[in-house]
Amino acid sequence: MTNDRKPFLLGPISPAAAGALYQQIVDRVKREVSEGRLKPGAALPSFRMLAEDLLVSLITVKRAYEELEREGIIFRRQGLGTFVAAQGHDRSREAKLSVAEELFREAAREAAEAGLKPAEILELATNIIKGK
Amino acid sequence: MNDNAIEIRGLVKTYFPFRLGALDLTVPRGAIYGLIGPNGAGKTTILDLIYGMGRNEEGEIRVLGFDHQRDAVALKRRTSYVSPELNFDVWGSVGRAIRFVRGFYPTWDDAYCKDLMKSFDLDAGARIAWLSFGARTKLSVLLALAHRPELLLLDEPTTGLDAVSKQQLFAELLRIVEDGERTVLISSHNLTDIERFADHVGMIRHGQLLLEGRMDEVVDRFRLAEFFTENNAEFANRDGFIVVKRNENRWQAVLDQERGVADWLQKSGAQNLSLTRMTLEDLFVALAREKEAV
Repeated sequence: MTNDRKPFLLGPISPAAAGALYQQIVDRVKREVSEGRLKPGAALPSFRMLAEDLLVSLITVKRAYEELEREGIIFRRQGLGTFVAAQGHDRSREAKLSVAEELFREAAREAAEAGLKPAEILELATNIIKGK
Repeated sequence: MNDNAIEIRGLVKTYFPFRLGALDLTVPRGAIYGLIGPNGAGKTTILDLIYGMGRNEEGEIRVLGFDHQRDAVALKRRTSYVSPELNFDVWGSVGRAIRFVRGFYPTWDDAYCKDLMKSFDLDAGARIAWLSFGARTKLSVLLALAHRPELLLLDEPTTGLDAVSKQQLFAELLRIVEDGERTVLISSHNLTDIERFADHVGMIRHGQLLLEGRMDEVVDRFRLAEFFTENNAEFANRDGFIVVKRNENRWQAVLDQERGVADWLQKSGAQNLSLTRMTLEDLFVALAREKEAV
């Protein structure tokens, strides 16, 4: 019942949000890594601890860690734990870039379907980036 | 030892006109298994029978490798049942109830019991009859946990618990299954919670098992399909396809991706088909409604 270990801060996850629960954990960890709050070599909590922190099933956390390991963002050392990989930052950044690219593509398609011309789409994008 | 904490095969029990079964159910060891179903589906009957309360007419229930009736004592020592119907008022105070229940279990853990009292904010001197509904639930959970059972059966344990107490309970349950040896079977109507922390799920309706499996696989198997039709095509429910809503030529339906109905839909004139993930709750509502219509 004691809680003397350091909490692992991850954004909220919820079955009601988009994406499977494990995918939400993957995305949150990637964000932490790509934005530099989790540095290469930093230890991640055991999946049992993270499951308790987030109040999600062990299977969910296991699956998220397997996915992050497969993408080379974290690595496991038997008996020592799980850590952020040296190339984790770049990999997370790449992953985020490819998501961004996909979202841009979708946005462009929606805008084209709404009847905007390429120049108008660019103007829209520029305005959004400038925060108008 | 067997890899399953509970194996139910061909179970039948009738409380006329209600009939449970024939039911097969498998709860893997180390899992948190969420048993879900509409009111009157038979959840409590299943939990009662697993704990050896009431006699089944047919079938077999093996719990932790024991026959649930022949090895009743061995089984009850290793199992706990938290039910909203338990009433500890006659023991007077919290401390007296604890001392009474403690006597039955050689594995009772006093330190753990103390921890639980603290975290559930239960005072040994408090009169049980004066406790709030939520506090009684906590006492019931405490009495169930403190002997560190191998199998914990919980019937609607979150009823009457505030959000903080509920989270404490879930954290406790996750801690229980940490070593992979202990198993939790929980029935609940709160599907958002169940989806979150249960590893396995079984959905029952009218005494029959509709679905069972790993939570992520079950949820991932179904999609909400949205499409429209131009040729006045009609779609009726079929295996792996349940119409949820329809507004003239616009349709929403639940689609079982293991049944290959997406191809059939498109061939039958469904246009702009989009598939989105569903929560366990959406899925539950759609499946519960479907069979009622039949």
